[in-house]
Amino acid sequence: MAEVGAVVVCGGRSSRMGRPKALLPWRGRSLIEHVVEVLSGVVEDIVVVTSDDLMLPPLAARVLIDEEPEQGPLEALAVGLAAVQAPLAYATATDVPFLSRDLVRAVLDAGGAAAPVVDGFVQTLAAAYPTAEGALAARRLLASGRRRPLELLEALAYQPLEPAQLPGLRGARGLNTPAEFLEAVREDEPGATASLEFVGRPRALCGVDALRVPVGTLASVLARAPEPLALCEGEQVSRPYLVSLGGRDFVRDGRLPVGAGERVVVLDAAAGG
Amino acid sequence: MFGFHGRYWRFDLSTGKGEMRTLPTSVLRAYLGGVGLGSWLLHREAPPGVDAFAPEAPLVFAFSPLVGTPLTTSAKFAVVAKSPLTGLLTDALSSSQFAIAGKRLGVDAIVLVGRCAAPSVLVDGALEPARDWGRSAAETEAGLAGRGAVAAIGPAGERLVRFATVSHAGRHAGRGGLGAVMGAKQLKAIVVRGDTPTRLAEPERVRELARDLVSRSRGAATAKYREVGTVANLETFARVGALPVNNFSGGSAEGFGSLAVGTLRSERRHERASCAACTIGCEHRYGHGDEMGRVEYESLFALGPLCGVRDAAVVLEASRRCDEWGLDTVSMGGTAAFAMECGERGLLAGLPGFGDGEGLLDLIAAVGSRRGVGDLLAEGSRRAAAAVGGSAPSFANHVKGLELPGYEPRALQTMALGLAVGTRGADHNRSGAYELDFSDRVDRLRGDERAARLAIEPEDRAALIDSLILCKFLRGVFTDLETEASELLQAVTGFDVTAEELRGVARRVVHLRKSFNIREGWTPADDTLPERILSEPISQGPVAGARIDATRLAAMVQAYNRARGWTDDGVPPPETEGDLLLDA
Repeated sequence: MAEVGAVVVCGGRSSRMGRPKALLPWRGRSLIEHVVEVLSGVVEDIVVVTSDDLMLPPLAARVLIDEEPEQGPLEALAVGLAAVQAPLAYATATDVPFLSRDLVRAVLDAGGAAAPVVDGFVQTLAAAYPTAEGALAARRLLASGRRRPLELLEALAYQPLEPAQLPGLRGARGLNTPAEFLEAVREDEPGATASLEFVGRPRALCGVDALRVPVGTLASVLARAPEPLALCEGEQVSRPYLVSLGGRDFVRDGRLPVGAGERVVVLDAAAGG
Repeated sequence: MFGFHGRYWRFDLSTGKGEMRTLPTSVLRAYLGGVGLGSWLLHREAPPGVDAFAPEAPLVFAFSPLVGTPLTTSAKFAVVAKSPLTGLLTDALSSSQFAIAGKRLGVDAIVLVGRCAAPSVLVDGALEPARDWGRSAAETEAGLAGRGAVAAIGPAGERLVRFATVSHAGRHAGRGGLGAVMGAKQLKAIVVRGDTPTRLAEPERVRELARDLVSRSRGAATAKYREVGTVANLETFARVGALPVNNFSGGSAEGFGSLAVGTLRSERRHERASCAACTIGCEHRYGHGDEMGRVEYESLFALGPLCGVRDAAVVLEASRRCDEWGLDTVSMGGTAAFAMECGERGLLAGLPGFGDGEGLLDLIAAVGSRRGVGDLLAEGSRRAAAAVGGSAPSFANHVKGLELPGYEPRALQTMALGLAVGTRGADHNRSGAYELDFSDRVDRLRGDERAARLAIEPEDRAALIDSLILCKFLRGVFTDLETEASELLQAVTGFDVTAEELRGVARRVVHLRKSFNIREGWTPADDTLPERILSEPISQGPVAGARIDATRLAAMVQAYNRARGWTDDGVPPPETEGDLLLDA
């Protein structure tokens, strides 16, 4: 049996970010891949709890589908803690690009339920949970209509960890908005760029295959397109065009963040037919 | 009567005699023309359970109220029959002068029944020996030049290849084997000409609307078709993981750059053309040897990536040869890709592998002539797979017997639903659900019930456009299709038709097709996708891992059926049958 494990909760709606946070690009791969990679240097058994509508890339972890994602992170913790075979697990969200192995080790070194307290807020998704006891307690709370992970920590009589005790605490910092994500990208890689690519008629119009452009919101990236392309109207992609991020998702919202190395593909809206 | 003539010409090829039959105004208003009217006539004229190749099986050419008006793209006609490939209804559109000349006969449709005693052409209401039997449709048209507008079949239709086309002016009513139905009747060509104009209820208003539509047809909404053509889809689809490769086996979409529109343009002569009465001009032709060859995305995909062929010269030649034989390029490519996989798996000997361009050209000739293994493949992939046996049916990629078009269902999952429930089989021109996938309105990699309900919208829109008939490439110029179409129809026909009434027309047309199919043996199990699509994820590219399983598809089909007001299995309630006017 592994000594310590980890639970990654990544089934949230990412509504303020506008894109699934788990799939945001980070250092050449998705954020969930990055987080799993960091954890894999510390723990042996990693369980990712996700929702059915999120298509994750192949991961060095077990992936469980949370059948009731609307119940929130406590349900995901219940699912994940029950699945981890190690007696103690570090639980984290997926939107933590600066997660460090030092932080994970420090939290787990508490030896039982423990969580950092930052500015008076308990970091429930940068915390250690005893798995068997935690899963049982989480189920009891959910059965009684409780939804807050803090109540689980309290039920487990957790140990508060002061910031001074912890290295790399910014690894507990989650990102909720495009601005927060882009700030993190620029902090991690000053001068970071994305690729703006033109296919079909848009390429015929501007005569360019691809450009390197600074990361930013989608609207700011599209504004770098050569004339005569006018790809945005306000904060929306112009109707004659279709924009795909990485060849996967089609997007129209110019407020979405575009990360480092990401491919923004500009197509004709009349695709097909 | 305005816009219509109120009658159709029914010609019995067995007796050589024709008669005019009245079309009730209620039917014309309920179905308009094109695929709507054609489907109604098929339902009316076809004996239940008739074999597609039997003399009694009707072959319908349907015009529309807008044909003969100055409205851009209105010179189109529908060909409708029971498909020898699917055993269900098939309707296909073609365009240009045949539509105008046919309607000038003073009819809204032509229904052919019976079988000629010997290979014949039908000219000016009389049968003549077909001197061009064995030659291409283009040669036949040339031979009949000056006698009227010609719809003809090639040698594949004569030999009853189940995916043979009916051709006019280089354009094909392509899908479902209509050319084979005509071949079974031993009819090489039908030639039409007439001098009966279409009367307009409000001629000046029609001209005003026509001027406006012409102006809009030259705007941004049609720019893609004008400037680069549908060929541009190839690179677009490759970039977003929607380009099927190597018989949908998930091969790499890299390396098809020679087929990209930019490469074709830079390396070959290029010219653009349009159908009669069209101001879009979507037809892009590329230099190929001494000729200029027309090629569309569907031909390019099916004869290129689907068969693993990367050489543009081979693909253009393959497309040219399909035209010459009179073969549907999509079904030919789909069947050839199936055959290539049979060869690679050792199920059939002597077949080319993926990427073998010369082998593909040989297969086309073999199918067109029904020579050697071509005789088996001329039956289409479903029948061929059943004959080969073993694992072959698991990689025969068709729905209801019709080979899949170039839209990867696992990467376009609303379209996957559209392909599954399509009444003529796997088809991109009747569903149009890909429009939703190429938007931010649905998650294209996670089809769900909501998306399935939304898929009704483009399917109904296609049914209306195909009944009016206008070119679908014009669809983007309308902000409210039904309202604008009602204005066009009011001015042309004088009917006080409303947008809501036209929405009803669209639903009725879809319902009628379904009703015909049910009569001819459709079962709920037919509304599905190929086994490979439902069992294997996409293995590489930008949407690697995308999959759609049978459970998810079934939930989508059920949601679609419910939204249509049908049973969960897809059967319209009996009390709605009266709306189809089958007893009119």
